[in-house]
Amino acid sequence: MSRATSYLLASPAGVLVAGLLLGPVVLLVRVSLYEPAGGRGFFVPGTWTGDNFAAATDHAGLRLLGFTAAFGAAVAATAVALGYALALFIRSLGPTARRVAVAAVLLPKLASALVVMFGLRQLLSAAGPVSRGLVALGVVAEPVTLSRNVFAALAGEVYLVLPYAVLVLLIQLGRIDPAWEAAARGLGASRWQAFRRVTLPLSVPGLVLAGQLGLMCGVGAFLGPMLLANPADQTLAVEVHRQAFDRQNWPRAAAGAVVLTLTAAGLGALFALAARRSGGGR
Amino acid sequence: MTRLVGWLGLALLLAPVGFAAWVSFSPDAFLTPPTGRWSLRWYGAFADDRRWTGALVRGLWVAAAAAGVALVAGVPLAFAVARHRFHGRSVAAAGALLPGFVPPAVLGLGLLPLLYLPGLNGSPVGLVLAHGLLGLPVVFLVARAHLGQTPPDLEAAARGLGAGPWQVARRVTLPLLRPAVLAGALAAFVTSLNEGMVSLFVAGEARPTLPVVVWNELRYNVTPKVAVASCVSALAALAAVWGSYRVFGR
Repeated sequence: MSRATSYLLASPAGVLVAGLLLGPVVLLVRVSLYEPAGGRGFFVPGTWTGDNFAAATDHAGLRLLGFTAAFGAAVAATAVALGYALALFIRSLGPTARRVAVAAVLLPKLASALVVMFGLRQLLSAAGPVSRGLVALGVVAEPVTLSRNVFAALAGEVYLVLPYAVLVLLIQLGRIDPAWEAAARGLGASRWQAFRRVTLPLSVPGLVLAGQLGLMCGVGAFLGPMLLANPADQTLAVEVHRQAFDRQNWPRAAAGAVVLTLTAAGLGALFALAARRSGGGR
Repeated sequence: MTRLVGWLGLALLLAPVGFAAWVSFSPDAFLTPPTGRWSLRWYGAFADDRRWTGALVRGLWVAAAAAGVALVAGVPLAFAVARHRFHGRSVAAAGALLPGFVPPAVLGLGLLPLLYLPGLNGSPVGLVLAHGLLGLPVVFLVARAHLGQTPPDLEAAARGLGAGPWQVARRVTLPLLRPAVLAGALAAFVTSLNEGMVSLFVAGEARPTLPVVVWNELRYNVTPKVAVASCVSALAALAAVWGSYRVFGR
C-alpha cells in the first residue's frame, strides 16, 4: 500500500498524542514562565519570569526533587526484586496453579488504585490487624499507626507496579528454554549455580523493562505519598497537585510539572544507559 | 517451604483489596471488618446516593467511549507500523507508548485547560479523550504483537484474488485481529474506569467519576461507603470483562 495510506492510518493516534499530550506539555512550559496571578485568574498574561523555576529549585525544591528521585528508585528496586521472586515462583507451578496465581496477580488491577491505598491504610491503621497482631505478640504495648510514613507510601506504590513487573518478568522467563537450565544441572551445576549462570543472565531484558516501568511509576508517584505518607514526606507530583488546587498557583504547578517530566525522562535515560553499559537491555 | 512463601506473597498482593471488600459489609460506621454480623447497610447507602451512583454510571460511559477512542487511534497505527515501511515509523511507534511514560500529574495539569474550553465546559468529552490517550499504549502494543504473529500472506492472498484494500481490511485483517482488539479494548476500558489521577484534574467537581468521589471521601470523611464503591466498581470491571468475552470472544 502507498505511503499516504500509512500516514492516514497513523493520523488518529497522531492527532490524539499531539493534541492531548505534546500540545499540553508545551503549553505547560509556557505557563511555567508566567507570573502567578495570586488567586485572581490563572496567571498574569504577557509576562515572562524565571521565578517559578527558581522557587522549584531552591533548597526546599531540591530536597523535594531528591526525595522524589530516591522514592522512584526505591519503588523500582523493590518491585523488581519482589516481582522477580514471584515470577520465578509462578513459573515453577503446574498449569492450573499457575493460572490461579496469574489471576491473583491481575485481580487487584481490576480495582482502582484508590482501593488498594484504602485497603492498605486500613490494614496498617492502629485498629487494623497488623497493629493488633503486634500487640498480641507483645512486640508493642499500645496499638500503633503503621501508615503515615514513607514505608507505607512505598508499599502502596509497589502494590500498584508489582502486577506489571510480574507480567513482564513472566513473559521474559517464558522465552527461556527450560532445557538450558536442565542442561546446566546435568553438567553438574547446583540449582543455585544454574540459576545464577543461566536463568538470571537470560532474564536481564525483562528485569530492565520492569525496572524502567517501576522507575516511571515511582517518580510520578502521587496516590501513595498523598494518602499513606507523612505530610512532610511528599513527592513532586503531590506538590504539583497542591500548587494547582490548594494554592491556585498554576505557574508554580506548571514549573513543578516541567521539573517532574525532566526528572522522569532523565532518570529513565540514565537507567537505560546504565543497563546498556552493563550488557543488558537488548 | 518456598511454595508456602510464594502463596503467602500472592495472598499479600490480594490483601488490601480483599480487606476493603470485607470492610464493605460492616454494619456500623467504623472502618473495621465485621466479625459477627455482616450487613448490606452501606450498599444501600451507596445505591441511595445519587452522587455516587451517577458517578458510577458516568464512569462506565466514559470508559466505553475511551476504549472506542483508544481503538480508533491504536489499531490503525499498529497496522501501519506492523505492515508498512514509512518515514517516521519508529517515531510513531514510540509516540504511541508516550502516554504511559508521562507522570499522570503532569498529564492532568496539562489537560486542565480542556475544562475551560468553550463547548467542553462541564461535558465529559475532555475526560473521554484523556482516557482514550491513556488507553492508546496498551491497545497499540497488543494489536502490534498480534499482527507480528499473523503472517501477511493471508492479506496478500486476498489481494491476489482481487480484493481491494478496504475489503482486505474488513474481511481478512480485522477478523484476524479480533482477539487483540477485544483484549486491548477491555484493558483500555478497565484503565479508564479505575483512573483516578488524571480524572482528578480533568473531571471537575460537578461531574465526577467514581474514583474522584472516592478520592474526596478518602481525604475528608471516610465511611465504609468507600469500600462499597470499590467493590461495586471492581465488580463492574469484572462483569465487563466476562460479558465481553461471552459476547465477542468466540
